[in-house]
Amino acid sequence: MSAENLHLEGAPFLKRENAGLYEPAGSKSLGEATERSSKHNRAIAAEIPYWQDWREAARQIKSYTVANLDKLLVQFERSIAARGAEVLWAENAEEANQLVLQIAREHDVQSVVKGKSMVSEEMELNRTFEAAGIRAVETDLGEYIVQLARQRPTHIVTPALHLSAEDVGRIFAETLDEPFSANHQHLTNVARKHLREEYLEADMGMSGVNFAIADTGTLVLIENEGNGGLSTSTPPVHVALMGIEKVLPSINYLPVFLTLLARSGTGQKLTTYTHLIHGATPGRKLYIIILDNGRTNVLKDPAIRASLHCIRCGGCLNACPVYRRVGGWAYGWVYPGPIGSIVTPGLVGLDQAGTLPFASSLCGACHEVCPLKIDIPHQLVHLRHRAVNEPSPMNSAVDRLTWKLWAWAMSGPKRYRLAMKAVRLGVRLARFLPWHPGKLGAWTRGRELPKVPGPAFRSRFSRNPNANRNDPR
Amino acid sequence: MNARDAILQRIRSGLSTGAPVSPPPVPEVWPTTDASTEQLIERFTGELEAVQGEIVRCATMQEARQKLATLHGESQWQRIGSADRPLCRELAGDLPPEQVVWAQEGWASNEIGELSAGLVAAERLLADTGTCVVECGTPEERLLCYLPPVCVVIARVEQLAEHLPAAWEEIARRTAEPDRRGEFVLITGPSRTADIEKILILGVHGPKRLVVILVG
Repeated sequence: MSAENLHLEGAPFLKRENAGLYEPAGSKSLGEATERSSKHNRAIAAEIPYWQDWREAARQIKSYTVANLDKLLVQFERSIAARGAEVLWAENAEEANQLVLQIAREHDVQSVVKGKSMVSEEMELNRTFEAAGIRAVETDLGEYIVQLARQRPTHIVTPALHLSAEDVGRIFAETLDEPFSANHQHLTNVARKHLREEYLEADMGMSGVNFAIADTGTLVLIENEGNGGLSTSTPPVHVALMGIEKVLPSINYLPVFLTLLARSGTGQKLTTYTHLIHGATPGRKLYIIILDNGRTNVLKDPAIRASLHCIRCGGCLNACPVYRRVGGWAYGWVYPGPIGSIVTPGLVGLDQAGTLPFASSLCGACHEVCPLKIDIPHQLVHLRHRAVNEPSPMNSAVDRLTWKLWAWAMSGPKRYRLAMKAVRLGVRLARFLPWHPGKLGAWTRGRELPKVPGPAFRSRFSRNPNANRNDPR
Repeated sequence: MNARDAILQRIRSGLSTGAPVSPPPVPEVWPTTDASTEQLIERFTGELEAVQGEIVRCATMQEARQKLATLHGESQWQRIGSADRPLCRELAGDLPPEQVVWAQEGWASNEIGELSAGLVAAERLLADTGTCVVECGTPEERLLCYLPPVCVVIARVEQLAEHLPAAWEEIARRTAEPDRRGEFVLITGPSRTADIEKILILGVHGPKRLVVILVG
């Protein structure tokens, strides 16, 4: 699959016209929900006096992991294969999709139930299944709703965060032929009823992987709904998808990560279900697909390597003032929010996603809440630097010329005066134009150009240096 | 070059810019306080109830059998399914076959889904989080945890540990045994979701109720 296919409706940050961005009601509920989660999760974390020590411990464990990633992946492969699992490797999404289809054909699969997996979103696996005539159903409630609505998730932990209960009621009424309801309990029961049948009939179940333990060969899955347990135990075949960064060296490190993930992700002490799966159960098949898909691009830049420590808790999304306003779709790719703005350029290249590192106010809230202490703001600054020096949408001929002019104008008082005069004249003239080109046009579509104020400070000062002096003497 | 070798090669060349890092020590997640059994029971009960789980305390296994019968009647259960483990046998071994079905190989999923409740035995209970650690060695045992509308967990007070780290040595050791199959599942409350408007709803796919029968 080419990069074009990978990024779904991918587009530079904020360029894509989408409902989430331009509907005030939607963004209001998103803003409220994320703010509430963020406050709650921080409070849960603050309950524990050792929180900062755990973050530091987790950071060290992950940096050891990444520094030894090749050895640990091979160790994991060997240890889980010894438990009867088959391990497959895919360089990119296209290869991973083909592997999944091969497994499906081998087992004569007609229908698939899917637990939550961000890697499967990266692969656009549902489209692959659809094209192959295989019925694939998302089972996480949020993912199920989003799939029925033929949308994409807006959040990595709560995919349907942008939809109200009324929206969900309408989606269920249209797609499942159910009477409309906006009652949360009722809607959940409807999903339960429909998905029950799917579990029982599915030939294959899919899941993501939260942690892959190298020394014991254990797959760790974390969830709340029970769909992860059902998707991986009801059908005879289980296929687990993981990025190369999901490995952990030892089972001994797991309690730290389980605790950090649950508290940062959903504000729970532990999630309802934590599955430690040691290989295939008797009579069942277990496949693990290990995917690179651009992660080694992230790895080779030491300045952003630590973004591979991410355990996908979604904490930085909830904390981010930009994400809260614009929602997940605005980022244009699978991984939104602060961490997505680092991961995505790595996965698809700065030439595609070079605007994302600029989709941040660098306020630092993401760094503060990250359970792995990933220094997202500094990594974004590093990527900004790269984006203006490497091929990217931020490094066009116009951009380069603009900055050159700016640098020229700012490096001498005469040039500065001249430039400011030109700007004042330009704004005066532009106010009379009915239409503005390019970025200025995008800005003035919903706003009026400000009026140029009276004489500039510089000219008033040169006329009468004492006029505005506030001298106590 | 196949995908595996190509990926490993890219990782190695990517890492060549980094310094070696030695394995960090296993951090102490929570200190152990050597709480009394009574304190552990109190903490476990509080945490379990905080995640909408139910607890049935029994002094003896005899009492537990009576309480199970009461639960059976009050909840108007038909048949329950049970894992074939010693603790489950102790609790439900005398029940007539119209009331209990024992896990067996090749048990059809839809039959497990029609049961009124699934009975499983806990390996450990974690007081600080209200968690039951359950071992499932077969697909049928796994399904008993997730398919029936009620999950009943039987445990003895001796199995209470303060928290995850206190129980971890044993879990880690057993997980490492090469012949082990299936899963350890850490269950903390009944199945739940907050995917619609962040409103908490119980029993989305898995059990709507979680009942822990604690003996001793």
